[in-house]
Amino acid sequence: MTKKAAAKAADEKIIVGIDLGTSRSAISASNGKRTWVDSYVGWPRDFIARKVVGSSILFGQEALEHRLSLELYRPLKNGVIKEGTARDEEAVKELIHHLISLVQTKKTSTEKVRAVVGVPAESFKVNKVALKKAVAEFAESLLVVSEPFAVAYGVNALDNAMVIDIGAGTVDFCIMHGTVPSEEDQRTVLTAGDFIDQQLFNFLEERYPDSDFNLNMVRRFKEKFSFIGEADRAVKVDIPVDGKPTKHDITDELRRACESILPAIVESTLELIAKFDPEYQDIIRQNVILAGGGSQIRGLDEYLENVLSEYGPAKVHLVDDPLFSGADGALALAQDMPAEYWTDI
Amino acid sequence: MAIRNPADSTDLRKAILKGVYDENLRIDSMVPDPVTARRRRRRSRIGNPVLLSVLLLVAASSLAGFLASWNPAEVAEPVAVDVPAEPESPQITTVEVKVPVPVPYAVPSAPPRPLFVLKPPEPVEKMVEVDFSREKLLDYSLILNNSQVRLSSLFGLDVQTIIIDPGHGGRDPGAIGVMGTKEKNIVLDIAKRLRDRLQESGRYNVILTREEDTTMSLARRVEFANAGRADLFISLHVNALPQQKVNLIETYYYGPPSDIETLKLAEQENRGSGIKNRDFENMIKKIGNTFKEQESATLATAIQHSLFTNVKKYDKDTADAGIKIAPFVVLLGVDAPSVLVEISCISKKQEELKLNLPAYREEITTFLAEGTVRYLAKRNLQIVKGEEHDQKGRGKSS
Repeated sequence: MTKKAAAKAADEKIIVGIDLGTSRSAISASNGKRTWVDSYVGWPRDFIARKVVGSSILFGQEALEHRLSLELYRPLKNGVIKEGTARDEEAVKELIHHLISLVQTKKTSTEKVRAVVGVPAESFKVNKVALKKAVAEFAESLLVVSEPFAVAYGVNALDNAMVIDIGAGTVDFCIMHGTVPSEEDQRTVLTAGDFIDQQLFNFLEERYPDSDFNLNMVRRFKEKFSFIGEADRAVKVDIPVDGKPTKHDITDELRRACESILPAIVESTLELIAKFDPEYQDIIRQNVILAGGGSQIRGLDEYLENVLSEYGPAKVHLVDDPLFSGADGALALAQDMPAEYWTDI
Repeated sequence: MAIRNPADSTDLRKAILKGVYDENLRIDSMVPDPVTARRRRRRSRIGNPVLLSVLLLVAASSLAGFLASWNPAEVAEPVAVDVPAEPESPQITTVEVKVPVPVPYAVPSAPPRPLFVLKPPEPVEKMVEVDFSREKLLDYSLILNNSQVRLSSLFGLDVQTIIIDPGHGGRDPGAIGVMGTKEKNIVLDIAKRLRDRLQESGRYNVILTREEDTTMSLARRVEFANAGRADLFISLHVNALPQQKVNLIETYYYGPPSDIETLKLAEQENRGSGIKNRDFENMIKKIGNTFKEQESATLATAIQHSLFTNVKKYDKDTADAGIKIAPFVVLLGVDAPSVLVEISCISKKQEELKLNLPAYREEITTFLAEGTVRYLAKRNLQIVKGEEHDQKGRGKSS
């Protein structure tokens, strides 16, 4: 479906799908470009800082590196634009602008942009209007959808399916039943990737009080080794002690940290399914889709499947490309959207 | 990924795209659709200060109603006061009590009834008059009215048994956060930590009203505390507010309407030449109440101060609701000095996240323990101070 639409749209308009995440934001464009940045936006604190960083605004990893010279914002922390702070809204605006500029080719920088933006389900509830306002400047026309819905659309799970999108700040749940999901079909839980990091950090601090590590290192351990259930082999990582890299066994701590997000996920999953039409609960249980970075935790799909199996046959699927599943879904939606709809928006 | 539903049709796709389009049109025009409009309005009301204050007023008045409907006979002797024959004397007096607002317990919305009914004078048989000289009466009112004198130090009362009451439990989860954190579990965990902390000194016998996740009625808790001969009673709860950004810490104790009793008693004292039997009973009770009130207030102050100042360091959005007076059943019923602490606010997401961390719960325990210990230490100190004061006084007079 996407190819035809892409070819049609490519002549003058660029169509993009954006996944605005708490930790990372990704963009997929109709010209085939895909890229992502960490969801950080930073402005230089003063003119000296401005000179040092050499730019009036920085994004992603670059912003993180220069965080001492910057006023750093993570505008979608906890999944919503923080209210009352104009700077956060501006940060969202700049972030989207930046993402769009990344996929635009120079010669076509004047081309018109049509965008579908997937945002965390919770922020979708709270401040859709603010988000739309934030983006309106850069796109000729723009649609906002909830993030798990975009994923569902992308994998074509439109009817009797459930998407669980495990991100950094939030885990978003969404039940699809052949229509645009309403607020009742969606739920957000705040124990997600960041929570695992914090837990793991605390556990390690307890066990290895003399070792030097920070949240950033802990996050890397998690991204590399995360698992639940039985470990295939011991997880050993290098952590400096008094400046000397030393092997530490973090197997148990890592498991405990990863498993700490399970109760909330299981509870929400079961609740959402239980609320659904009883006739179709069986089908939904066999159409559970795991997306987001958290879906890469080893053993998670198996674990969920086991839990759900107690209620009847269950199948948990993993999306192929967790980082881009949201952006790709949003792009697919944008491309399928009939032209007459765009003109009115 | 291949989760292609055979039932998927282009029609379905079209319908969904139309849905997305409609929804976005709605956002653009900011005209809420009829179905979600009601929901959204209800939510937005929370943010509306005017409506919020109206809500609070309603809550306050219903609480006042509850207070008025509360029958003092359940806890204390009926307060029927004889009034000398005065034709103009009002038949019914309703008592207005200022009540703090956020209410953890559901308040029964009973129609307000007058708290005190002044009986019209009856032809009474002559009361047995007790020999009770004016000086003694003076002594007694001195004790009650002098805020310098603390009954605990006056009578050298010591604390042995502390009963900690983790709120809710079992079928009653208490407040629930967005992530599903339940108040009952949080307070139970903190209560256990606090017990261990207080027992470390070896001076106090600390008991929990519930050790596990069991359902326990408020009446049972009161019974438990009284039967366990509690010298202090601390009830732990977690706040939940409609505003999601505030972390509100507050501590309750039960004071008035005993003040009204005091007033009435004082009135009588001024008027009457003699004291009646019943008044004597009242007086004894009054001393008990004053003791409980004084100590509860001091304990509440200590805990609130320690908890708030320390939590504030972590979270600037913490609000100090201070010490409040409210007729919670557990505070009313327990004989010992008792306070109810709202240790945190689960409706704030970050707070909920933190409450899930053992380290943070341990911190809160530390603050609670610090407040309690400071109170206990102060109490001992006051006894010493009181003696000093005594001696100074004596020195002057001699």
